[in-house]
Amino acid sequence: MSNRSSAWTATITTLLIVVVLCPVFFIVQMSVRSGLEAFRMPPTLLFTPTLQNYADLVESKFVRSLMNSTVTATSTTILALLLGVPAGYAFSRARFRAQRVVSLWTLTTRMAPPIAFGIPFFLIYKDLGLIDTRIGLVIIYLTFNLSLVIWMMRAFFDGVPRSLEEAAYIDGAGITTAFVKIALPLAAPGLATTAIFTFLLAWNDFFYSLLLTRSEAITAPVAIVNFMNYESWEWGKVAAAATMIMLPVVALSVVVRKYIVRGLTAGAVKG
Amino acid sequence: MFVAFVVPAASVLLLVTVLPLIYLVVTSFTPLDMTNPGSLRWAGLSNYRQLAADGRFWSSVWVQAKLSFWTVTLQMGIGFAIALLLNGRMRFLELVRATFIVPMVLPPVVVALIWKILFTPDVSILDWTLGVLGLPQPAWLADPSLALWAVIVADVWEWFPFVMLMLLSALQMLPTEPLEAARLDGASRWQVLRCITLPLLKPTIVVAVLFRLIDSVKAFPHIFIMTGGGPGTATEVTNFYAYLQGFSYTYIGYSSAIIVVMLLATLLMSLGVLAAAGGEFDVE
Repeated sequence: MSNRSSAWTATITTLLIVVVLCPVFFIVQMSVRSGLEAFRMPPTLLFTPTLQNYADLVESKFVRSLMNSTVTATSTTILALLLGVPAGYAFSRARFRAQRVVSLWTLTTRMAPPIAFGIPFFLIYKDLGLIDTRIGLVIIYLTFNLSLVIWMMRAFFDGVPRSLEEAAYIDGAGITTAFVKIALPLAAPGLATTAIFTFLLAWNDFFYSLLLTRSEAITAPVAIVNFMNYESWEWGKVAAAATMIMLPVVALSVVVRKYIVRGLTAGAVKG
Repeated sequence: MFVAFVVPAASVLLLVTVLPLIYLVVTSFTPLDMTNPGSLRWAGLSNYRQLAADGRFWSSVWVQAKLSFWTVTLQMGIGFAIALLLNGRMRFLELVRATFIVPMVLPPVVVALIWKILFTPDVSILDWTLGVLGLPQPAWLADPSLALWAVIVADVWEWFPFVMLMLLSALQMLPTEPLEAARLDGASRWQVLRCITLPLLKPTIVVAVLFRLIDSVKAFPHIFIMTGGGPGTATEVTNFYAYLQGFSYTYIGYSSAIIVVMLLATLLMSLGVLAAAGGEFDVE
């Protein structure tokens, strides 16, 4: 590779990184500027950062919605893992005739726009009194999280050698013991990755929360939109809220960056 | 024995996905209106007949087609070009990977908010930059001919890294022998790309197109936040139109019919993509 072409690559790469990150920096810097300062054009590079927007947010109802987001995303993650991890293990170690049906079905549910589940869940929740409850959100999040856990964990278990479990069977251990004591600890990194993924997808949800919550169980992504409408476009505060929502997401996904693409295509077709 | 491991997950999956979808199909055959509790009765195909004659529905399909075509084409084009550029340059790889995942993991609401601000005249740095360069400063989101492009830009920014990362990891796993053999035989760069790299990448390209296509049909938060389907119905995609029918106008039955048609169309389209790719694909 000649020096010149390598310099070109470096330039283009830098440019790309700037293009990708600029919009994110834009909203973060906006969150630490005071009211009018945020929109002074040309933008002033030297300004005194203020945490006033964050302070205002902490005292508002927004905190409650952040709490709802945390609780629902965590609960759905735990529930999806409890149900999905054993199934992923079974799919990895045994062959079922139903496996193909389940994977075709997973792909079909992946295709459905959220409103396809939103409508029936809305009607059922209205009868059951589950509208505007955290438990209602936790259940509907299983529509996308459960199959994600099954396929991701299946792939991770495929990477765990069977020989140790086979040795345990010879020693008289049952399937449950082999799973809990041997396979699961070896798949721990995969388990963590899957957990983070499940959490992210639930945390990022907008549509289900928009449809199924009103005020009690409202999550942060919907609260921020309401807030934008009622607080007559206080951009500084909107930017601060957006920053608070995206911080955990960015932090967690940097940890699992190698698996992001795999997770987003879990249960996919294989060439 | 392993069956016991699968039963709980399978039953819950059945309960939360199969039953609701059946309910959706049933609802689509009723004139269910949320303001009229007695309206859950069989009405045959009347919703579907109404749908066939609904100009606003067909207009939403056209908007959806434009959105899907442009976002998928641009994401594939940009993603592929960058993947080719970065392939083999290990020095930049870790940095690029860490950076490029940011847009696609951001909450869609945040992506929509960022671009809403960027496309709002007077308050946006984008608007200011265009002004300084002496370029026109359009009111993107208020202009019927530009609003859809604003949504396309936001979506391309969010998802081209996905295509790029997928293709990059596929490029790195390509066997080197055929590439070297072709080069030794005097093939030009372009010939190597067209005759060897592209065919080898085909499976990955197909999966990437499939996923981007499926997700483009699910577009919602961007449109809800950036344009609200407007101006007029300029950015009203089918998904959003179904939402309006069901939850702004309370016609749940009609809304369900729209979604059932949409779901079937997406399924057919996906099978079409797989068939066009040559049937060598198997669902994992």
